Amino acid sequence: MDNKERKVMLRLENIAKSFYARHEVFDAVSDVSIDVYENEFLTILGPGQCGKSVLLNIIAGLEKPTKGTVDFPASSDTTMGFVFQKTAVFPWKTVMENVELGLQIKGTNKKERREKAQYLIELVGLKGFENAYPYQLSGGMKQRVGIARAYCVNPDILLMDEPFGALDAQTRYQMEEEVLRIWQAEKRTVIFVTNNIEEALFLGDRIVLLSACPAKVKEIYIPRLERPRNNIDPDFLALREEIEANTDLAL
Amino acid sequence: MNAKTSKLRDLALSVVSILCLISLWLVLSSSRPDFFPTPQMTWERFIELIEYPVSKVSILGHIWASLRRVVIAFCYAVVLGISLGIAMGWNKKIRAAVEPIFESLRPIPPIAWIPLVILWFGVGEFPKILLVFIGSFIPIVLNTMTGVALVDPMYLSVSRVFKANTLQTMIHVVLPASIPAIFAGMKASLSSGWMVVVAAEMIASKSGVGFLITRGSESYDVALILCGMILIGIVGALLGVVLTLLERWLCPWTTKKEK
Repeated sequence: MDNKERKVMLRLENIAKSFYARHEVFDAVSDVSIDVYENEFLTILGPGQCGKSVLLNIIAGLEKPTKGTVDFPASSDTTMGFVFQKTAVFPWKTVMENVELGLQIKGTNKKERREKAQYLIELVGLKGFENAYPYQLSGGMKQRVGIARAYCVNPDILLMDEPFGALDAQTRYQMEEEVLRIWQAEKRTVIFVTNNIEEALFLGDRIVLLSACPAKVKEIYIPRLERPRNNIDPDFLALREEIEANTDLAL
Repeated sequence: MNAKTSKLRDLALSVVSILCLISLWLVLSSSRPDFFPTPQMTWERFIELIEYPVSKVSILGHIWASLRRVVIAFCYAVVLGISLGIAMGWNKKIRAAVEPIFESLRPIPPIAWIPLVILWFGVGEFPKILLVFIGSFIPIVLNTMTGVALVDPMYLSVSRVFKANTLQTMIHVVLPASIPAIFAGMKASLSSGWMVVVAAEMIASKSGVGFLITRGSESYDVALILCGMILIGIVGALLGVVLTLLERWLCPWTTKKEK
């Protein structure tokens, strides 16, 4: 892959983030610099609770970095979609109302946003559940709503913060395949945070391995594996072992 | 045991417990019916109450007089209380400025305001509505404030990522997320308001269910006192039921369990 020719969507430069708690300084992220390219599926892999989500929140503008800059060289008006860790789907809105929310906030007229939301609801496989409330859905289906909602504003960059962490193993595998299928149907730049090596390796065009606290870029892996990847393929397993050996132990 | 039979069993138990209460009433009242009228005497007095107005107001008129005071005051309390509660829950400065006032007024039972309010505003409709308002305003404010302050920060992040303005965040996130707390406040407020209206009517009024009790006491009509008490209980319970139904209808997601 020739990275020099690809359009840079997001440039992180020397990002650091510290928190002040009980008169102590706690460094969550330290000196992270990454370029993220157009339409690539970037997975950020890190152990334990440290830094990954903070990094994603900084990219989304939910938190300010203590040091460093976040740039969007492709366009100054880069829109972002965010799929949250737990299902942050609103229990008081139906599937349709959840998915169209971003467009509603932007002021898109009802007919247009309904059409777009309907397309995405069908894309994530929830046709027939448009008027269901989240309490009527399973965990995997709720996270599908979360993905459709994030996609609906036509984001240039899609941020996903351990979206499948709360799901059981079987549903998780299924959702990983789903998210790839959706990404292939609607290409976007995706930044996917996970603490699961297999998941990172199954999904990522590139895998950014972070260290334990404070999070620093330890290594960037570019798996030369054909999609769809097979998690019992010897090459897959070899790379998995290599990353595993390089991963810091989480407390 | 399936759901249907256990439901039937619960219903049967409720009926039995009410019957026990009435039997106890029967036993206790039979020795001195002039002090404590029997259920039958109370029922007869109730029928009489329907036929003959007390103080030129029919029984429905008395219920309506009390309800009207409560409903008017409750509507003001809901609108102003939810607004103030949201402001206090959302903005830490407003909360810091206003909360001490509420915390110092809260321990004063609304009934303790009656003499002062009557002294200032007399015995018309306004002072009664004001008293009910005092009784129902505080629970709504405090519950709404707590509900708003406890909205899951992740929900707020969703609205920030979508670049929602404050009004949009209120409508789409903060208000619906705090609805359960607001309804809890409204229920507390309504039952407090109902209590206050009865107390206010007992002290200075020519109509209302509280007045019925006072009239009964003044004219040694003990059965009328009991009728008034039972009416107060029934209407108060119905008000609670109405709010619960309203909540179920307005927000179907709050009453359902997560899958």
